[in-house]
Amino acid sequence: MANPIMPHISLSQAKALVAHLEAEQITEANKIVESIDFSVTSDQIIFEQIGELTRDLHEALLSFNNDTRLVDLAGQDLPDAKNRLNYVIEMTDKAANTTMDAVDYCLPIADKLINDLEAITPSWQGLMTRNLELGDFKRLCHSLDEIFAHSKVSAVDLRNKLTEILMAQEFQDLTGQMINRVIDLVQEVESKLVVILTVCSKENELANCTKTQHNNIEPEGPIMNAETREDVVNGQDDVDDLLSSLGF
Amino acid sequence: MKKDMKVLIVDDFSTMRRIIKNLLRDLGFTNTYEADDGHTALPMLKSGNFDFVVTDWNMPIMQGIDLLKEIRKDPQLKHLPVLMVTAEAKREQIIEAAQAGVNGYIVKPFTAGTLKEKLDKVFERLG
Repeated sequence: MANPIMPHISLSQAKALVAHLEAEQITEANKIVESIDFSVTSDQIIFEQIGELTRDLHEALLSFNNDTRLVDLAGQDLPDAKNRLNYVIEMTDKAANTTMDAVDYCLPIADKLINDLEAITPSWQGLMTRNLELGDFKRLCHSLDEIFAHSKVSAVDLRNKLTEILMAQEFQDLTGQMINRVIDLVQEVESKLVVILTVCSKENELANCTKTQHNNIEPEGPIMNAETREDVVNGQDDVDDLLSSLGF
Repeated sequence: MKKDMKVLIVDDFSTMRRIIKNLLRDLGFTNTYEADDGHTALPMLKSGNFDFVVTDWNMPIMQGIDLLKEIRKDPQLKHLPVLMVTAEAKREQIIEAAQAGVNGYIVKPFTAGTLKEKLDKVFERLG
């Protein structure tokens, strides 16, 4: 920006003024003084400032025009991010269902093992205390034979299902990579928005926009950093305390 | 509480419905039905003779809190016990749910033990 302090008169005017005064030409000297336009300088400052703002705005608009990233962001990267996040939902849904399928398969196997063992326990205890009839002993042997055969198959089944559950967790790696890409994009969009707001001289408001809108009953989903917030509960114990304080 | 009581599980995520269904089954409640939001749940409740509702809060179309209010407004349904199982954890929300007449409030993530404890408590109060 140019120096805003401008002289009210030029050097040649000043020299002429001194010359008139030395020659005692008072009328001429007064004319020079009267010809000085004091308003010009303040107008000039305003004009210069407007000129500077116009240039800034022009440059900012040009830089947005030339910034093809903005177009890519809106037209390509954001829709792409949406697809990625949908994919994350799909993957996690699939993993959860694979895991629950395996659990549903395993629970009856575990139940059968428990029931079989409970069924032979009285006979087995009889045997251990030498208090078992020969007929019962024979039946116990046959039951044990069945349990051994069945347990082996069950154990192999359980093992396979546990491996399935293990493999279902690989979504964590894949979705993690997807989410990292989206985080990068969000950061880029954030920095672009900050630039736009700065050009619009809204950066002060940006600094002031701390957490708002938390004080209502609109759903917010899982709470991040619940321990740092006063308006949310931190776990079931807090919920129970709050409800009992309400007379629940 | 009767083990054959008819339970409606309302949640927009099928995996969460399945988890709750499985946990209820482990507790002996096998007569369970599912709805994916309040808007689907309400007509089921009106025509279905349900004994108990487990609902999420944040769902599309009709949220759990609105479903709860609709249930309390309906002369046929107003005594139906409602347990809320939700990630919503703002104090104001819990107060709102309590004032709307919720019978229990569980915040996600939750455990099988918490679900059992709250169920027992709900039915103990109802006698």
